Amino acid sequence: MSEKITYTEAFDELQALVSEIETGEISVDQLSEKVKRAAFLIKTCKKKLSSTEEDVDKILKELEGK
Amino acid sequence: MRKTKRLFRFVEITSGFAVYPGYTAGLPDFFYLHGTMPGTVEGKKVFSLLEVMESVRRTLSERYGSPFWVKAEMSKLNHYTHSGHCYPELLEKKEGKVVAQIKANLWKEDYIRINETFLRVLKEPLKNGIMILFSARITFDPVHGLALRILEIDPVFSLGELEREKQETIDRLHKEGIIGRNKALRLALVPQRIAVISVETSKGFADFRKVVDENSWNYRFFYMLFPSLLQGEKVAESIGRQLERIRLVRSHFDAVAIIRGGGGDIGLSGYNQYELARHVALFPLPVITGIGHATNETVTEMVAFRNCITPTDLAGFLIQQFHNFSVPVREAQQALAAGSRQWLSVAGQLLAGQVPVLGKAVARFIHLRGLEILHLEKQRDLLDPKRILARGFTITLHINKPVYKSTDVQPGDALKTLTAEGSILSKVTRTQNDPNE
Repeated sequence: MSEKITYTEAFDELQALVSEIETGEISVDQLSEKVKRAAFLIKTCKKKLSSTEEDVDKILKELEGK
Repeated sequence: MRKTKRLFRFVEITSGFAVYPGYTAGLPDFFYLHGTMPGTVEGKKVFSLLEVMESVRRTLSERYGSPFWVKAEMSKLNHYTHSGHCYPELLEKKEGKVVAQIKANLWKEDYIRINETFLRVLKEPLKNGIMILFSARITFDPVHGLALRILEIDPVFSLGELEREKQETIDRLHKEGIIGRNKALRLALVPQRIAVISVETSKGFADFRKVVDENSWNYRFFYMLFPSLLQGEKVAESIGRQLERIRLVRSHFDAVAIIRGGGGDIGLSGYNQYELARHVALFPLPVITGIGHATNETVTEMVAFRNCITPTDLAGFLIQQFHNFSVPVREAQQALAAGSRQWLSVAGQLLAGQVPVLGKAVARFIHLRGLEILHLEKQRDLLDPKRILARGFTITLHINKPVYKSTDVQPGDALKTLTAEGSILSKVTRTQNDPNE
């Protein structure tokens, strides 16, 4: 999925979704959509823990440039 | 030697523990007193330079026979590693201005002994820019001039000075309302990108790397080293410079880690300096310290977002943040599965409840339909031409079309009459309109 979402947003949204599902505030019709969304958010969060996109060379270049 | 003539007196100064020598004398007296014989040039008494210097030296050594205690700032230690001697610069300031200044000598043997005492008591070596209380003798050398020879330095006095400076830093940060500034920042949910202030070869940095690189949860960190001195006099300046570099690229980082280890407890007073503590307190990213020592917390550690004592603890703290994020995510996953199952089970139960009702409805439906079909079958049977023929009715056809009325045919037309069993062929002889005739 190409959607840009920060892990903080993902985390907050996930917490909200889970509590919705737990408290039964959604209909069965919505359930499938919500579960799908939650699964995506979980994947995003888990990915964050095990990867990073920072690059030393890029930062050094920025330091030299300034 | 005229002992009755006192040429100097000791002056008690306000602080009560230091004694400053002073003297009042006219130069010629000294010369005669010390028996120096001048030559004569054109009727003037003339001394050689060495004669003058020697006279001064003798006078001073006689008048300042015993050592005395002095309080002063040692602005520079000037330790020469080759010879092992030090040539400290001593001064006194009033309102920021130098009001007294003198060179000093601290010979190798004395230096080694005093420095060891300092390391033991202060956890600091003798260094530039500290207040010292020392015992000294005045010396005078015809070539090198006037100096104080330091014999002893009181470590307890300097320790008190260091503590006082530390307290001043704390008080100042309090007064400026910035002491809790870094602690009030919000640490990223996953503090993953760390700007490390350390030394490549530091044992502390190695400890840190070991924990974050080899963690068994597959947590991935990004860290970048900003090399700096971590102890000694220049620590504040050196760390400050790296903080400024990090500030330029701060968008790439979640936190700053100051990591030192394996350096013992010596040379940490720089972490109590106001400039460094202020820098850390006001830094836009959370600063986490792992300076690794057993002495009292320094001011820099006090104002940091978090003081982790050792580099290993610091790495552990970061891992814990990952756990704090990862555990709720895992729980969310479980809750989601459980929630969905719960929903499906509720829906299932609802459905299960409907099955018997549905069954009944279907059965009833089928029954009704069955009745209808029976009825229709009956009707169909009643209307079946064969059944009608069997009851004695016949059907008359003319050219294969049923004959409905007498006018449908003319005399002479051929008719075919169908009966239940077989058919009759006939010819029309006459037609009548009235069916009863």
